Order: sequence, then structure tokens, then C-alpha cells
Amino acid sequence: MPKVCFYFQLHQPYRLADISVFDVGTGTDYFSGVGKKNQADDNKEIFLKVAEKSYRPMLTLLLKLVKKHSDFYFSMSLSGVFLEQVEAYAPDLIPILKKLAKSRQVEFLAETYYHSLAALYSPTEFKKQVQQHSDILFNLLGARPSAFRNTELIFNNDIAQLVEELGYAGMLTEGVDRYLWGRKRTVPYIAKTKYQLPVLLKHAQLSDDVAFRFSEKSWPAWPLTVKQYLEWIEVYPEEEIVNLFMDFETFGEHQWADTGIFTFFEAFVAAFLQKKWNRFVTPTQIFTPVCDRKIKKNCLDKSKLDTYDVVEPISWADVDRDITAWRDNPYQIDTLEIMYDMESRVLLSNDAELVNDWRRLQTSDHFYYMCTKWAADGDVHAYFSPYSDPHEAYRRFTIALADLQERLL
Amino acid sequence: MNNQNVFMIGWEYPPHNSGGLGVACKGLTEALSQDQTTIQFALPYHFSQGVDHMKIISCVDPTWEERLGQKVLYPPFASYSSDGVIRSFVTAKDSLSPEKLRLLPHSELEQRVQEYARVIGSRSGSIEKHTDVIHAHDWMSFPAAQTLKKKTGKPFIAHVHSTEYDRAGLNQGNHFISHIEHEGMTQADRVIAVSYYTKSLLVNKYGIDAQKIDVAHNGASSPESQPNPGNHHFAQKRPVVVFMGRLTLHKGVQYFIQLAQSVLASIPNALFIVAGSGDMYHELLLTSATRHLSASVLFSGFVRSEQRDTLLDRADVFVMPSISEPFGLVAVEAAQRHTPVIISKNAGVSEVLHGAVALDFWDLDKMTTAIKELILDPNHSRKVVSNQLNDLEHITWGNAATKVKQSYLRAILGK
Repeated sequence: MPKVCFYFQLHQPYRLADISVFDVGTGTDYFSGVGKKNQADDNKEIFLKVAEKSYRPMLTLLLKLVKKHSDFYFSMSLSGVFLEQVEAYAPDLIPILKKLAKSRQVEFLAETYYHSLAALYSPTEFKKQVQQHSDILFNLLGARPSAFRNTELIFNNDIAQLVEELGYAGMLTEGVDRYLWGRKRTVPYIAKTKYQLPVLLKHAQLSDDVAFRFSEKSWPAWPLTVKQYLEWIEVYPEEEIVNLFMDFETFGEHQWADTGIFTFFEAFVAAFLQKKWNRFVTPTQIFTPVCDRKIKKNCLDKSKLDTYDVVEPISWADVDRDITAWRDNPYQIDTLEIMYDMESRVLLSNDAELVNDWRRLQTSDHFYYMCTKWAADGDVHAYFSPYSDPHEAYRRFTIALADLQERLL
Repeated sequence: MNNQNVFMIGWEYPPHNSGGLGVACKGLTEALSQDQTTIQFALPYHFSQGVDHMKIISCVDPTWEERLGQKVLYPPFASYSSDGVIRSFVTAKDSLSPEKLRLLPHSELEQRVQEYARVIGSRSGSIEKHTDVIHAHDWMSFPAAQTLKKKTGKPFIAHVHSTEYDRAGLNQGNHFISHIEHEGMTQADRVIAVSYYTKSLLVNKYGIDAQKIDVAHNGASSPESQPNPGNHHFAQKRPVVVFMGRLTLHKGVQYFIQLAQSVLASIPNALFIVAGSGDMYHELLLTSATRHLSASVLFSGFVRSEQRDTLLDRADVFVMPSISEPFGLVAVEAAQRHTPVIISKNAGVSEVLHGAVALDFWDLDKMTTAIKELILDPNHSRKVVSNQLNDLEHITWGNAATKVKQSYLRAILGK
């Protein structure tokens, strides 16, 4: 039986309100629509809905499990814009998060505050956002992250290098077949960086069995039982790690409570721990085993690890596991380019509100909504998009861009 | 002989749809009625709004509604749905804009037009008594006018507000529609074109005898709100250039994107706004993104009355690069709101709005220079605006009505 490493992602973007060309230069808030007539704050509405269905019940369950099982470990990543919205819309979740942080059984991962694609465009902006995220985690929950996961697990050699320079112990990404060529995704790798940054790879099959297929009635394994899932995991030997990385909203939102997802998870944790030799781990426990940190003995022996050499960026999204969900068509390419071209002028403005708006526009979801891919991927994109179609996502975004430019004049 | 009784056949009337045709019918009938013309105005749907200056006759067949939702197993209606239930048959409740009508499947389009003709024809007895002349607006009404002429012997005037040639842009267009247009104009006693530009199209593309065609330029009603020009509305810090119209090939909106690119090369802060909706929308978005114009060309979607005024008030330059435009009322509206206008020479409005800058739609270099001059030279801009305002004195529905009445006389006298 291998080790199991859970990582859950918590993120909500600031979606654009129905801004129009008539709002350019009038101080209308892009995200809440404040300043416009009859404009409801959709972000608040969506957040409250997801909090009700997923965040509150699942965080409560996780806290219960942490208290019940002293050897239940997991990791999660909360984007900065997610935390802001927790504070604004569902502050009752903060004490639960604090208790989880205090338990020492939960690892909080580092990421960009704005859940952005900055790593692909601006190393300096990337580092600032990672620092900003680390600070809010510390200030709000008292946790300083030591392992990193980039937006949507986007990864390549250059990004790994940036992460290493920031001093993180290791990072998480997707196990992509075309870079594994038959190698296991259940062992740590080293990235092609100066000091060989360790990397953990997502086990897509087993992660998606829960995240995507759990309630799929046409799936042969439906309904998924704990026994069946354990059997699949037990195939791997003890020294290996099954990395189950998924959206936190899997629990209660993508898979509704009536699918039995919460009871499944609770029963899985208990059943897994029933066997003495089974272990839950968090990324940092793999990257730097705590007890050996000072004497540097028995630490992760990098000389025994294979290299995960990735030139073109990969991610955990869509069938191709590349970045075409966010950067593929002219809408995405041009808006991203224009936005990052503004970096120096925005920062020189010394206008905190302007800088914040610019950064909120960097959130990857905006570009995800502009994706024009079709078939199964298109369905997933449509599920998440608040707009009627990718063209509308682009149209609104250009208005926000034009307004940013107006404010810089 | 000066005060005629007119039976007018229309297709839409405000507030239903905001197409140019309905607006023109309103302006023209109001002016004609002031000029002692008695009008009965036929519409293919129930019209409940009160109109004082003429009598509106809803020419609907009571069975249209009955047939809707009914199971009919005989042709031609059975073809409209697989289960034989009529869903899309002429609905007497709603108007259907000519633009949408044009895009219907051929069989349905033909049926709608023929049904209208049949219903009007069936009332010829009562119509005949109070009618000196039949006046039909655009192709949708021509078959009805022909039927009525045949039954009553009254002269028929075909009023051409736009042609299939304009609407098709550089495409082939709908042959069925151009056939109806040709047939209608051939059967008509007189033809009224909204501009000399349109008249020449009718002569050259449709082979209509020039002697038979009178030109009556459209007028323009005075604006509903006071013009409030200036940059105090939005986007105060940058020059704003506006396109407003349907996003179709014949409106030349694709040239507007190209113009944006060339103007931005020397005036990088300029903001270009495309107002309207249409079949080229997605293509235009993509073109704009591909040309790196995402933050400089914005799409407002279709704009309604108040926003329309605000946009025209705000615009520093209004551009209408139409490939073919019978008239182009929106250019007059821009002029009314003190905005300098650049119009295509292929737009009828250029014959009356002399103060505007008229250029060939394909001459992007000259267009670019003209936009830049209007942005950079306030004196030039002011001069264009004031010349345009002078022109407006002559662009009235009263003038149009005078021309139309002359046409009636010619038709009645058989000249």
C-alpha cells in the first residue's frame, strides 16, 4: 500500500460585472459593478452558493476527520482572491481554517495571490504575487507555506527555476504521459533546475475518478465504493505515493451531497487508516522529512530521482494537459499580452486600487472563459463560465482593459 | 387633385422594431398628413398603439392565429415541423423585421409575403372606394400592391428604401428577393428611390427605366433629446471614433477595424467603438484580437435610444464606411448631435449632407487621414459640424413629402 497525498484547491475569481463601453473612465467597479444601476454582485452570490454547498460542509468534515484521526494529513491551497472573498462573504469559515492550520495535520501550499498566469509572462510580477500570497496566509491563518503549486498546476523548467529561487522545498504538477514516457507518476521527480527542485505528480486517473467520474452513471465503476477505490490504490507498493489532487469544490459542488461524496470521503479516510502501514502525507513531508531537516540526513535523496524535463508548459486542464485552456486563440493571446505590457506603467502609477484591479484581471479564469475549444473540453469550460459564450467573456474583458488604459492616461 | 387618398402598404412601424424602414414610414406619413394627404396604412400584424395622423389597418387573417399550434396534415403548412404542428407560421401578434424576414427559409419567407398579399387582396373592395393611389414600401409589400393594383386598377408606387444589392454587400444576395423587387418595380407605375445613388442602382442593376424613377431623399425628425456634445460622458481622456449600424458586410464595418489600426499607429490613445449587432460580430471580434486591438476597439452591442444619443454625443468622429447604403439616416443623427461625420460616397446621405467628409469606402489612406484631421484639428472639426448643421435645415420629411406627392400626381396622371 502506497502513501496517499491529498491536495485540494480552493479558488474563486472575481468575475466581471456587466460593464459596458459607457463605463469607461467613470470609476465603475469591474467586478461588483458598483457604480452601475441595478447591478447585483454576482461574485457574492456565487460565493455564498458554493460556500453553502461545498466550503462549509467539507471544511467542517475535514476538521472533524483531523480531530478524529491524528494520522490524517492533507494539503490544500487557497488563492488570495479566495481568501479575500471568504473574509468578505463567509467570514464564519475563517475560524475553521484557523483550526485546521493549528492542527499541524494540514499543509497550506503557496501559489500566486491572484491565481494568475504571471509565471508565463513576468517573473518579477510572479514573485510579488507569491510573496503577497504567503503574507495573507500568515496574517490570516498563521501559516507560512513551504511547498508550491502554480495556478492550475502549470509547470515547465523555467517556472520550476523561479519557484526554486523563491526558496520553496518543492512543487506540485500534473503527470503528463508525453513527458513521462512510461515512467511512474507515483514517485517524486526532480525538475531541471539549478538545485534539482523536487516535484510531485498528480495521479490523474485516481484523482479524476473522484473529481469527475464519481457521479457519472455511465461509468462502469459507478457507484464507486470505498472498497473498490482502496483496491485501485493498493496496487502501488509502499514506497510510492499516490497524489490525489483536485478542486475542493469536488465535494458538494461538482459532486452534490446527494451523490454520497461526503460519506464516501469520510469512510475512505477511516478505512485507509485502519491498516497500520497506510500513511497520509503532505508534500513537504516528502520534500523535506521534518525530523531530518537539521542534520540533513535521510533527506530526500535527489541523486536517486529521475528528472521531469518539461520545456513547453503543462497543466492539469483539459484532455491535452497543456495551457491551451487559457492561451490558445487570439482573444486570449492578445488580452494577456496587452495586460502584461502594462506592467511597468501600472506599477509606476502608485495607485493601489489600479494595481489591485490590474492584478484581479490577471486571474486565469478570465482567459479560461474566453476559450473556444469544443467537445468535452468545451463542455467543462461552459460549465464554469458565468458568461453566455467566450465572445462575451472577451468583449467584457476588453472594456476593462480599455478602462485601465484610460486610468493610466 | 392635390389632396390624395393613399393606401400605403408597410411592414413595420414604430415602436415595433427599430429598423430604418419603420422610422422612415413614420416620418414620411406624418409629413404627408400635414400636407393634407389622407393615409390608410397596412401592417401585417396587430397594431394597438394610437396613431393620430393616419388610419392603421392590421391586415391579418384571423386563421393565422388559429392555425398556430394546430395540427394540420396537408401542405404547405405541414412542412414547418416534423409533427405537423405549426409553430413558425405568420404570427399576427408580432412584427418581424425585414432583416430577420430575409434570413427565413425560402419557403417560409415566400409564404409570409404571399399571405400578406392575399389578405390585402381580399379587402380590395373596401380599399378601392377610398384610394387614389397605392404606395408600397420595399419588397415585402410589393406583391400585395401588385395584387391590389390588379383588382382595383389604382396606380401603384414602389418605394425603394433599400435593395437586395445593398443588403448582400459583395455577396450574391437572395435571388428570390431581387426577383420580387424587379417584378414589383416593373409592375409599378412609378418608383421612388431614397437617393440618386439608389436610383442609379435601380437603373444599372435592375434595368428599371430611369424616367420612371423619382428621388425623394429621406428626412430626419428632430432629436428626442437635446444634443449634448462633448467628452463629459465617458472615456474623457481619449478621442473616440464611432461606428454605428448593423454588423454586416455592406455596412463596411470590417473597414472600420482596419481604419482603427491605421489611426492608432499615430494616435495610440484613440478609442474605437463599434455599436450594433449582426452576422459579422464574431468575425470582427477575432479580427480585432488578431490585430492587437483588444484594448482599443470596443464593442457595445446593439444600443438603444438613450445610449445611442450618448454615444453620438460623445463621438469625436463618426464613420460610415458603407459599401452600399441607400440613404444612411444615422449619419444625419450624428450630425444633429454635433459630431463630424465621414461617409462613404456610396451612401445616399452624402447627396444631402454636403458638409460631411465624403470618401470612397475602399480608400483607407484618405479615410485614415480624414479621421486624424478631425481628431487633431479642432477648427476643422468645428467647421465640419457647423456645415453639417446648415445642411440639416433641408433634410426634412416635409421636403420628402413634397417629392412623394409629385410622384403620386405623375402616377395618377399617368405621366
